[in-house]
Amino acid sequence: MLRLARLRARPEPDARRAAPATLALFLAPALVLYAGFMVYPVLRTFYNSVHTIRPQGVQEFVGLANFRELLSTDLVFWKAVGNTAIFAVIATTADVLGGLLIALCLFSRPPFAKLLRVVWFTPVLMSYVVVGVIWVWIYDYDWGLANSVLRWLGLGAWEQSWLGDPRTALGSVMVTHIWKWLGFNMIIFLAALSALPSEVLGAAELDNCGWFAKLVYIVIPMLRPTIVNLTVLSFIGKMMIFDLVWIMTGGGPLWSTETVSTYVYKRAFDWNTFDLGYPSAIAVLWFFIIMIFVVLMTRVFRQRDKLEF
Amino acid sequence: MTTNSFTRRCVLTAAFAITMGWGAMPAPARADDVTLNVWSHEADEDAKVALREQAARDLEKAHPGLTVKITWYEKNPLLAALKTALPAGQGPDVFYVEPDWTEYVTAGYLAPLDDLVNWKTIQPWARQVWVHDGKTYGLPQEAYTNEIYYNKDLLKKLGVELPANAQFTQSQFLDLVKKAKAAGMTPIAQGVGDRPFPGAYIVGEALLRKLGKDDYRKLFTGKLSFTDPRVAEVFTWTKELVDAGAYPKNFMTLKLGESHYYFYSKPGALMLPMGSWYTGRAFVPEEKGGQPKDFPLGVMQFPAMDGGACNQCKTSAIGASFAINAASKQKQLAAEFLNAMSTPAMGKRWIETVYLQSAVDVDVKNFSGPYAAYFTELMERQKGTDYFIGGPRDMVQGQCKDSFAQVMNAAFPGGLLSVDDTLKQMNAACYKGS
Repeated sequence: MLRLARLRARPEPDARRAAPATLALFLAPALVLYAGFMVYPVLRTFYNSVHTIRPQGVQEFVGLANFRELLSTDLVFWKAVGNTAIFAVIATTADVLGGLLIALCLFSRPPFAKLLRVVWFTPVLMSYVVVGVIWVWIYDYDWGLANSVLRWLGLGAWEQSWLGDPRTALGSVMVTHIWKWLGFNMIIFLAALSALPSEVLGAAELDNCGWFAKLVYIVIPMLRPTIVNLTVLSFIGKMMIFDLVWIMTGGGPLWSTETVSTYVYKRAFDWNTFDLGYPSAIAVLWFFIIMIFVVLMTRVFRQRDKLEF
Repeated sequence: MTTNSFTRRCVLTAAFAITMGWGAMPAPARADDVTLNVWSHEADEDAKVALREQAARDLEKAHPGLTVKITWYEKNPLLAALKTALPAGQGPDVFYVEPDWTEYVTAGYLAPLDDLVNWKTIQPWARQVWVHDGKTYGLPQEAYTNEIYYNKDLLKKLGVELPANAQFTQSQFLDLVKKAKAAGMTPIAQGVGDRPFPGAYIVGEALLRKLGKDDYRKLFTGKLSFTDPRVAEVFTWTKELVDAGAYPKNFMTLKLGESHYYFYSKPGALMLPMGSWYTGRAFVPEEKGGQPKDFPLGVMQFPAMDGGACNQCKTSAIGASFAINAASKQKQLAAEFLNAMSTPAMGKRWIETVYLQSAVDVDVKNFSGPYAAYFTELMERQKGTDYFIGGPRDMVQGQCKDSFAQVMNAAFPGGLLSVDDTLKQMNAACYKGS
């Protein structure tokens, strides 16, 4: 009887489940902001990419003409694509591997580990503007630290106009970028290392497993999800690099540090035109290229075999 | 608490908040409360800020209830703000413009000022810079000429005397650069770290003198090829200067302000080719980074070119100008603000505090003050001059403008390109056929 009465009774409201109206009320502000500042600009960029935007709001539909010009005649665009690709591949690899190495060093608790962790992480907290200005000074030919150190070491013949020579400019910007982000990867790897199951590492030690074998066969496989995530995130960030390049070189000399993002900005705001159609086409094309790379990378790095503990 | 009652409370709270928010909103503005919005560049130049703010306060006094709100920008953020705000119909009433920003004119964002502004106080040639298809679109405020500033003491130290007309020949100038370099001096303090034009001063002025005004204009409007032998001669001479070590090693990253400091303080240089607006930044107190009071500043002409068509030519240009937004609903008030900035008194104040030529018609012979000697010398250098109005950047657009910045301004004087490569790249970007 009691059971029957319970079945017939109205279900008790779940305090954790809110009514649709409540949900809507709380979600609305975030959704409105998201739609206004994310969805609309993205859709608008897609729309602009197939138009020539004339002044006074006049828009002329041009189909794929912007894309055709971009892919066939725009040499600076391809230069920017090359630079961005080099930047994304080299800096991502260095970022992730460097972060992992530093994390492994600090995880082994060397002297001053806490201080070193703070030192490595501090650049992450600095804005690109500050980092860019500091490194422009470091690279300065006459009074910069880089050349001063070379002179002090008796290697004056190697001094360079680091940011003023097309052969060294992109590499110099990359070093700055890696310096800024290495600490971030290090912290993430340290957290992941701390979360590794101690019994697995302990068992390996009992089996007399050396540090290198432990690193290659146990630690790195277990860090694989972290490595994949950091690689993908780092890659996406570098494919969109703008601020640091803009501050340090503005894309020069001779377009040797021009990235796709700096080129979009230049075409939008530096070319004596109000046409946002062409720069939008660059942005749209680049959006798809990044998407393709992210999907490919995720597939390549996808872990097929589950680890068994 | 049930879900329904929770929802009711939320809705009531939201309604209360909205009601209170409504009540807290400011009361509608009085009819006579008007705000004139002005966007200006040169936030870092105290004298110009003070002068424009003074004009704003003067106008407010003349119109009770009016607020003139000047928003101060640096150039690039101002450009980005204008290029998004104007198409969106959100632009200010008045904004800073420069003559090479021609896209604002062609796009129809600038109101013609012919019947709005009092042109009697503006020098006619300066107004002419802003005339497009018979209408005037900008009110010029700042005028300048391109000069070579030099350190008189260093020149004396080299044992070189400035010719009576203050103009070296091209070979004398090359010798001067070599002498300075041999004496351990930096011959020319110049850098392109944050500007798309300073590196092209020497080659640009040399082209003007060699080609004469008409062909010089043709070159930068795509009607004369960069492969013209006269053009090649100028670039070859400039390359000799570059190879002789005319520019500092940090030329590519040295910023404009730093190049000034490099010239008059540390480490010091013999010459600084620059628009005469240089003094607007240099004649500030030393503790603010200005030129030392006792610095032996001299002004010389750009060198005469062998077989030059116009060796007495010189670039004169308009810098800071102001325009009225074509969509502004307060054009008359906006024009009054422009007039307030261009009274003869303001023109005099401009010269005396900004230390720079003005587009306002002012008698500079009456100039006095700590820099009177400098102005006397500057005026001396203008005698017999045939002015070309506007710099190369006023004439080039799009790909040509980008190549001008990257090639002529930076890579070529930076020693990264040969003469042939430079001419080829400039020609590809700029020449449209005769």
